[in-house]
Amino acid sequence: MGFSKIEMEFLKRIGIRRASTYVLTPSLAFLAVFFYTPFIIVLLYSIGVVGIDGVVSLTPTFKYFIEALNPLYLRVILNSLYLAALTTISCLAIAYPAAYYIALKASYRLRSLLIVAVILPYWISFLLRTYALMTILSSLNMLFTYQAVIIGMIYDYLPFMILPLYVNLEKLDKSLLEASYTLGANPIKTFFKVTLPLSMQGIVAGCILVFVPATGEFIVPYMLGGVSVTTIGTLTWDLFLKFHNWWRGAALSIIYISIVFTILVIYVRKIGGVEL
Amino acid sequence: MSIVDKLMRIHTISVLLFLYFPIAIVVLSSFNEYGGFPSFKFTTKWYESLLQNSTVWKAFNNSLSVAILCALVSVILGFLSAYGLLRADTAFKSSIESIFYIPIIIPEITEALSLLLFYNFLSFPLGFFSVLIGHIAFSISFVFVVSKARLAGFDKSLEEASMTLGANQLQTFIKITLPLSAPGIAASTLLAFTLSWDDFIKTVFTTGPGFQTIPLVIWSQSARGGVSPELNALTSLMLIISITLSYLYVRMMRKQH
Repeated sequence: MGFSKIEMEFLKRIGIRRASTYVLTPSLAFLAVFFYTPFIIVLLYSIGVVGIDGVVSLTPTFKYFIEALNPLYLRVILNSLYLAALTTISCLAIAYPAAYYIALKASYRLRSLLIVAVILPYWISFLLRTYALMTILSSLNMLFTYQAVIIGMIYDYLPFMILPLYVNLEKLDKSLLEASYTLGANPIKTFFKVTLPLSMQGIVAGCILVFVPATGEFIVPYMLGGVSVTTIGTLTWDLFLKFHNWWRGAALSIIYISIVFTILVIYVRKIGGVEL
Repeated sequence: MSIVDKLMRIHTISVLLFLYFPIAIVVLSSFNEYGGFPSFKFTTKWYESLLQNSTVWKAFNNSLSVAILCALVSVILGFLSAYGLLRADTAFKSSIESIFYIPIIIPEITEALSLLLFYNFLSFPLGFFSVLIGHIAFSISFVFVVSKARLAGFDKSLEEASMTLGANQLQTFIKITLPLSAPGIAASTLLAFTLSWDDFIKTVFTTGPGFQTIPLVIWSQSARGGVSPELNALTSLMLIISITLSYLYVRMMRKQH
């Protein structure tokens, strides 16, 4: 296959070797059409340019954003952020000691067993795990309460916190801990001055992996919370699949995704790089 | 062993019990004649009735065909991209990389609804293909990340040796790169298969009338608190498949180290 002179010039300029370009193009094209274009469509819906029968008006309207920013929805957004934050902090508090133990304290044989035990739930879908939890909560008569939702969130997201923490702590140079002890620091001081700062990247990665999907979580509040808990996830579900109010739903999603990105950017800037 | 170490050990064991207890209960109940505890009598009748349920069989076929096709397509696309990007010397390398990373970071529900609006805008018929495309769009990125990590640890001098000995880039790719990265490819195929096999949110948003996968069957029966012995059996089967796949994955990834 030949390239025209202009194309060659272009390729040279952007510096991609020919074969590499060929093999990258299909995926990039696929993602452009089926992942990135849909987001533009969402934007078009949210400003009312697109209606039931394709393009209906070329003048954008902010009507749907104003609708999506009503106090009721704002409370739902705040509730979801609160629930996600609560989930993240609880998961961190529960996961850190476990990851620490597996990475630094467990014997070699025990460790490989524990790692497999931690990775397996990572692969089981939320739907199945939430159903499993539901059978227990329903026999305890706890279904459809806020506590059930919190337990479900922690249950589902815990593996997403343990794994990045473990991966990070495992790389920790143990001689640094010994140095700290030798220099007279007690275990508590060593933990706060050496271990914790060094595991910051793992903490950031874990928190992002939990917090971002948790804000949009919908399976857990729907299955375990019933009608008692409304989150961005359940509201989106209702707007799209129940009421078919796609325009307001699109506006809500744009607001939601902007919030998520803002939080991510602030978080990453404050704490530094992320290694996922 | 200090008291702190002991406490941490108890904590770790409790965490694992917390993670596995509900799963164990579901699997046990699926073999329980009475459906629930405390009484227990072994039976396989829930599985037998599952085998006679045509909705489940149809959904099983749908899940399987989507997952196999999704795994095939996304492995080809994702692996080639990782290969191409590692060998490309472009200033846009990191921007191209983020194009692949964003689908992983975006909350799944946002991606799902954007696809729904996209299909609606194009009047694309909802069903098998709309679901499959959604799954691929998501899996490519995961395959890309796994393959890139594998290919990065790859000894490039082997490829250079092949080229020096007169093979062209294509021959080198087929004779050297591909066989050497076979374990990585197998692992990412498994990953893509599992992602698709387990997917619920994107499927429910992009499916059309009459096209159900197993997660959709579980959802439609369990939403709003419906727990039943037959559903326990179906969930147990899915759990066992997921656990087997993940175990295979962990073993494959280990072998390479």
